[in-house]
Amino acid sequence: MTDATHTAPAERAAPEGDGRSWGALGALGGIWLREVKRALRDRGQLIGGVSRPLLYILVMGIGLNPYFRAEVYGEVRFVVPYSYLQFIFAGVVVLNVMYTSVQSAVSVIWDREFGFLREVLVAPVPRFVLVLGKVLGGATVATLHGCIVLLFARFADVDLMAGNIAGAIGLIFLLAFCLTSLGIAIAHQVRSFEGFGVFSNAVILPLFFTSSSVFPLDPSLTRSQMIVLYPEWLVTVIYANPLTYAVDALRGKLIGFNQFAPSAGPILLVVLSVVFFLFALRGFRRG
Amino acid sequence: MVGGHLSEAAAPVVEVAALRKRYGRTLALDGIDLSIRRNEVFALLGPNGAGKTTLIHILCTLLKPDGGTARIGGFDVSRQPLKARKQLGVVFQEPSLDGRLTVQENLNFHGLVHRVPYRLRMRRIREMLELVELSEWRNALVRTLSAGMKRRVEIARALIHDSAVIILDEPTVGLDAQSRERIWTYLNKLRRERDLTLIVTTHYIDEVDGCDRVCIVDGGKVLALDTPEALRARYGKEQVRITPRDAAARSGILAQNEGAVAEPGGDVVIPGATHAVVDRLLGSFGTGISNIAIERPSLESVFLALTGREIRDTAGERPTIARPNSRSGEPVN
Repeated sequence: MTDATHTAPAERAAPEGDGRSWGALGALGGIWLREVKRALRDRGQLIGGVSRPLLYILVMGIGLNPYFRAEVYGEVRFVVPYSYLQFIFAGVVVLNVMYTSVQSAVSVIWDREFGFLREVLVAPVPRFVLVLGKVLGGATVATLHGCIVLLFARFADVDLMAGNIAGAIGLIFLLAFCLTSLGIAIAHQVRSFEGFGVFSNAVILPLFFTSSSVFPLDPSLTRSQMIVLYPEWLVTVIYANPLTYAVDALRGKLIGFNQFAPSAGPILLVVLSVVFFLFALRGFRRG
Repeated sequence: MVGGHLSEAAAPVVEVAALRKRYGRTLALDGIDLSIRRNEVFALLGPNGAGKTTLIHILCTLLKPDGGTARIGGFDVSRQPLKARKQLGVVFQEPSLDGRLTVQENLNFHGLVHRVPYRLRMRRIREMLELVELSEWRNALVRTLSAGMKRRVEIARALIHDSAVIILDEPTVGLDAQSRERIWTYLNKLRRERDLTLIVTTHYIDEVDGCDRVCIVDGGKVLALDTPEALRARYGKEQVRITPRDAAARSGILAQNEGAVAEPGGDVVIPGATHAVVDRLLGSFGTGISNIAIERPSLESVFLALTGREIRDTAGERPTIARPNSRSGEPVN
């Protein structure tokens, strides 16, 4: 239930000076544990976490698999040397992470709506620890949901090896942390569940579809050649979408295919995580 | 009456000086000065919008004051909010439990964020659940509990850590009479076992009666602060309650006494009356009176005298005539 290692063994309240860091860790653990427990008890969210990737892999992936080749200037060629299922797999992982991260931000609205926020704000916990606990909790759940998709790797002909998996899970966690921070930062601006629902639909799917997750940009083409294939605005949006680089880095880990520099994704994610976390923190500081 | 072990020399545990807070153009707090002693039950009484909740929120460090200071256990709530919060247990007016967690998990969460060491935490959770008689419900999800049970869990929760001051904002509002009484039983039991200062806001006059000191606030100002007895003596009015034997005596009494009020039950009430009035009434009506009593001033009338309003009106309940506290009625004959 609780983590005994986080607390002093003796039966005394932690004194001011020593044991402070353990105390803060205990508080962090408590907040983290609550987020995780709440999410794991939410059956609907778990079912969604399984059915969503199944839908994308089974229906979209298998359905579009035969068409995943392009005919450019009369010459039949594969855009990428992988099947569509393999190509879309990383995108499906990211989609699952996105939905769950944003869902965990709803808990901020929930807390405010149902009064629990006050219980937390009145506790002697620095806002930083509070936000970090919440983000880590949400990110943990989102990472788990991302890993659910990895269980379907066999059906998509994606070979997972120990080295890949560790790297992939690391990337998934980074993405989850980044998106949960973003979700919490935005949840502060939103006053209602309905408003947040609109937001999540207006943001998740457009971000996802313009991240080169469901169709590839041919890495062998220059940008001007690509504009022949796709309208310019779409290419511009894909290049501007940070998620493009996250999906690409994850795809590199999973099937070894990169459209961009493999380090672009992780670097971008770390920078954005810090920025979004600070925004989330600012939201809590203002109450 | 509670009280008794209340010593004048004890250092104040809560000190509020010249506290001001303004929301836009409304002045919520207009220079509040208070000091609350260790181990006392301190009641905040005031109509809606009087500034009670603002004051409580500043004490809880949820709001920052515009001016003045508030200290809890010596720690300034704006400068050392973390240390001030450590001294504090709060039971909010609206429920603040996580319905998707069990009772035990809610209490454990509280213990964790208040940095209560593991063993002490487990012991306190056990003891406090026993106190509020919810031990069998420890593994129930909070959303399955009734309103009264939830309130009891919240009270248990405020006591998990070493809080010196417990703030209860309308702890019994919306509860049935039985639950209200139980909650006060727990609180009084706790005060006997542990050093505890209670700050209570309430709309129920009979609850205020049991407190050590009452502070009446309105318009962001402290109108009066004293023991219930002293408030009664100073602002309240005594009244004579007569139960006439028949209608003739009733109309006779009403005709002879200016300011006499006929109550729906058949009683006649004469406000501000003294023993002289009682003697005169007994002399002229004698056998026409089946019962006569001088009633002590009620806190209800104190409140009315100070704010010009009746507390029932302000509580948003159906307006009733301010009824004197009949239990404290003092029979004369």
